[in-house]
Amino acid sequence: MSARIIIKSGGRASWAIRAAAAAAVVALLLWIPTRGSDSLIDTCTTAAMLMAAAMSLNLLLGYTGQISLGHSAFFGIGVYTTAIAVTRWGWSPFVTLPVAFAVAFVVGLLVSLPALRIKGVYLALVTLALGLVFPAFIKWPKIEWLTNGSRGLDQTGFKFSKDNPTYELFGWNPWGNLRGQNVKPFYFWVGVLMVVFVYLVCRGVVKSRVGRSLVAIRDNSTAAAVMGVNLAVTKGIVFGLSAAMCALPGSLSAIRTGTVTPDSALLTVAGSITFLVIMVVGGSGSLWGPVMGAIVYQFIIERTGDWSDPDKIPGAVRPLFSWSDVAPGGGIFAMALILLMFFAPFGIVGLWHKLVAKVVTVVPKPAGTTSLVREETAPAES
Amino acid sequence: MTLLDVQNVTVNFGGIVALNGLSFSIEEGHICGLIGPNGAGKTTMFNVVSRIYQPTSGSVLYRGTELLSVPAHGIARLGIARTFQNLALFPTMSLLENVMVGAHSQGRIGFGRAISRIGAAADNRRTRDFAGDLLTQLGLGALAFRPAAGLPFGTLKRLEIARALASRPNLLLMDEPAAGLPHGEVDELGLTIQGIRDQFQLTVLLVEHHMSMVMSISDRVVAMEFGRKIADGTPAEVQADEAVIESYLGSPT
Repeated sequence: MSARIIIKSGGRASWAIRAAAAAAVVALLLWIPTRGSDSLIDTCTTAAMLMAAAMSLNLLLGYTGQISLGHSAFFGIGVYTTAIAVTRWGWSPFVTLPVAFAVAFVVGLLVSLPALRIKGVYLALVTLALGLVFPAFIKWPKIEWLTNGSRGLDQTGFKFSKDNPTYELFGWNPWGNLRGQNVKPFYFWVGVLMVVFVYLVCRGVVKSRVGRSLVAIRDNSTAAAVMGVNLAVTKGIVFGLSAAMCALPGSLSAIRTGTVTPDSALLTVAGSITFLVIMVVGGSGSLWGPVMGAIVYQFIIERTGDWSDPDKIPGAVRPLFSWSDVAPGGGIFAMALILLMFFAPFGIVGLWHKLVAKVVTVVPKPAGTTSLVREETAPAES
Repeated sequence: MTLLDVQNVTVNFGGIVALNGLSFSIEEGHICGLIGPNGAGKTTMFNVVSRIYQPTSGSVLYRGTELLSVPAHGIARLGIARTFQNLALFPTMSLLENVMVGAHSQGRIGFGRAISRIGAAADNRRTRDFAGDLLTQLGLGALAFRPAAGLPFGTLKRLEIARALASRPNLLLMDEPAAGLPHGEVDELGLTIQGIRDQFQLTVLLVEHHMSMVMSISDRVVAMEFGRKIADGTPAEVQADEAVIESYLGSPT
């Protein structure tokens, strides 16, 4: 047997690995806005939006097993809450974030009502209807005075003032220029903050008594109820929370781009499918799955964006894609999805765990006050 | 003292009468065996008590409280736990996590405290240790971190008992705990059931087809057929009952 690395969960080695990983993430986060190209910063900011949306869906579908194809509508609620509050009522853009959160929470709670009675394909259909109705609702002539119909709304963004301070750190400025000339790093950091917030909420829920009850509902809802899980209340809050967190990237995208239209990709059902696919490719039911999925998705899309022109395709793969005049990003991602479902049904993160498990044995912390568990769970070989 | 009092419970599924005016009661601290041929309504009775089925009429009193006005998720908090005939575990979770979910009714960490992490880590540690100890006690300590899917049926039946005990019940409903066990282990399970009854001060309602085990550990036996009670008494009385011999036990020739 090859030498295996044995790591005790909660031991010194496991903390060292965690610290190293955290340092690497922080270094990467600082490197992107200071040394990365403008397009890289943009790509990462867009990926951050998709991360937050996919994470919110993951809490509902990956953990609780309640499918939703209506998350584009929750995203859209964020977009339009911000756009309307900024353009119609003159609110400051970032103040609209908690409002969008609250509005989407209430709508999510209402959508959960049918979810208390139906499951699986039927729930998928009900939420699909929500996703389909949302753009049509925005274009409804009777509320055009508010939403401006299919023309959308302008000037929804954050206005940078020339008088803003620059907040330099010893002549070093990782946030970009807050006076409006170089705002990409600023939005990058806003995106990072949002992802951290959504991640912490998801992590808090998952690693707790309620988190265990969510997985219990997914695995066997009757048994969960017998254990004392209040199915109606739990599903309702998860639906609301998931919807609310999905509205945050919506709000931010309205603030970032400055214009909104009801037919932009993420507001239609295509958006729901995008979130779903990102979540599945990354790894459903894992905290880091949506993060990985969003990065991979956005980079494939950006990298292959100009491949509709055969001359832009790198030589090695040119014969594969040059016959088509459509950028193949979505197709490549779809192929990746099919392959993953075959070889790693739990996505990128699942694949990673499988590979790591081949060389590393993680010994869980002993559970219980008796020493019996401790001895028996020690690995047989060393 | 009477712990559970089932009075005139009738359950109709469309035209089929699954329970027909069933009445019986269980004394605190007893092991009460519920026997009868397949389709007699034993599991239906369990599903009525755990509020999965709503009876057409009748009443179920637990310590004088009407159970039929308690929602399904409120049963565990009252101190009633159960195991399932065909396993209703959480297959993607480890054995330890399964038992931790069993302790759900004991905890108080809701969404707010989970997200803000106020007391959540301490609650996790406490529940984890409690669940680990329970698993050890039922001889499953070595498997604590294994996923529940893919283990032998008998092991999973034992896990169901551990999960049910995690809610610190007063009344434990066991639906065919010995099903699928090899013959030698059935008697051992009987001892385990008596052991946990004494240790956790439980009252046990036991559905089982292994007559030797039911008759040896039960303080009282209720025999059912076609949704009705046909006999009720000590094991010896029920074994001698004409109707029970006729419909279920068969004559000892």
